[in-house]
Amino acid sequence: MIQILTLAQVVWLEMIRRKDFYVLFILLAAFLAILMALDLFGLSQAVTYLKEIGLLLTWIGAWILAVSISARQLPQEERSLTIFPLLAKPVSRVQVLLGKWLGAWAAVGAATLVFYALLTGMVVLRGGTFDTLVLGQAWLLHLGFLGIVTALAIAFSTCCNADAASVLTYLITLGAWLILPRVPDLVLKVSGPTQAGLMALYYALPHLELFDLRRRLVYAWEPASSATVLLILIYGLLMAAIFLTLGALAYRNKRFTHGAML
Amino acid sequence: MAKAIDIQDLVVEFPGARRGSAVRALQGLSLSVEQGHVYGFLGPNGAGKTTTMHVLLGFIRATSGVARLFGEDVRHTIARRRIGYLPEHPNTYRFLTGRELLHMAGRLFGLPRAALQARVAELLAQVDLEAAADRRLATYSRGMLQRIGLAQALVNDPDLMILDEPTSGFDPLGRARIRAIIAGERERGKTVFFSSHELSEVERLCDRVGILSGGRLVTEGSVAELVKAGESLEQYFISTIRSAAN
Repeated sequence: MIQILTLAQVVWLEMIRRKDFYVLFILLAAFLAILMALDLFGLSQAVTYLKEIGLLLTWIGAWILAVSISARQLPQEERSLTIFPLLAKPVSRVQVLLGKWLGAWAAVGAATLVFYALLTGMVVLRGGTFDTLVLGQAWLLHLGFLGIVTALAIAFSTCCNADAASVLTYLITLGAWLILPRVPDLVLKVSGPTQAGLMALYYALPHLELFDLRRRLVYAWEPASSATVLLILIYGLLMAAIFLTLGALAYRNKRFTHGAML
Repeated sequence: MAKAIDIQDLVVEFPGARRGSAVRALQGLSLSVEQGHVYGFLGPNGAGKTTTMHVLLGFIRATSGVARLFGEDVRHTIARRRIGYLPEHPNTYRFLTGRELLHMAGRLFGLPRAALQARVAELLAQVDLEAAADRRLATYSRGMLQRIGLAQALVNDPDLMILDEPTSGFDPLGRARIRAIIAGERERGKTVFFSSHELSEVERLCDRVGILSGGRLVTEGSVAELVKAGESLEQYFISTIRSAAN
């Protein structure tokens, strides 16, 4: 366990010392500041608008950060040759994979918390408010979403370079997010292999829409039941575990051949 | 007592340029290194030295054959508990400081924090990087990176050091430091297995040398056994490689 935590800490330090997070934070703050300055629809609607756009930007920012940080971890180790001194230590490849995932997940989760804090501050300044319980639930489920995204990117990066892993993760998560909720309707309109294919996709891909509590937050709806939140988090961890297992299987026998005779 | 390194009939094949073809990097290599010896692993470029080291360190799985470190199969993580490795180009995490890198390396070996503090300070002094310990590695010169790489290879006080071209990139002072460290390790009963093209260095430091050519060990023995009086190791090496090629 100590090896996994040590590797996670390195990912964490990397995020703190690189510019990605700060750039996204400044962009988010700038967008929110512009939104705050606008008063197109009267005060109450302006706050709703700020919440809605702010949460969307928070989700997009966290999504970009999650993919960019996690997809580059393993390819970067190979490209910079740091993988060699790392694997020469009593660290298994599964531990490397888990350490990278845990570090990326924790770092992006913390960054997301900062984004939420910034948005909450802006909303309060504009005279609005968030239900604290719903806000907590939204962040927790957002963490679940990020756990899946980081696991997927890490899994792809075991066999692709960082760019390819990023693109694949963006495509799959976007597809899962936007298309999967519409699959039940589509299934009724097709038949045969297309229907079977759609059903297979429906069950194989992660249901990311489950993790999205934005509307509940924006329109001040009741909090979700704790049991539901817990079940969704368990589902998220299960999906992350599946992706990490697939990644570990691909990474287990990977040959690192830099400098070896070919 | 188990041998520090024990390799039997090691074969490593890489996929060739054409589909289904294979290139043999190691062709039934067998070699062993006793504990407490300094072993020079020599050969021309492409002979298979780095491939052998990569098998020993678990970066590559052998196509067939067995490799053991202190009796443990190299495919098991536990085999790497007692070793320290310095690659030819010791690239590091450039966003970390020298001290953080050594702490990270120590934690990966499971060293307790309290003992690690003292060990890191000792190593920084040994490689003369105390003044730069809290600077980011991105600001280090090539020689400094080589020294911090060496320090991270020593962090667990290894019983076996595997060094791939340890003096490449060093100035004469740095080379002298490396030689002193290798000699010091031998005095403490540690095993050192290293590849080098600096044959005068090998002659000076090694108890035994092995010469690899075309993925096979063509000769092995102590420098005194192999090199005739009046001949240098370099002359012996060149004639051995030429006759192996014919």
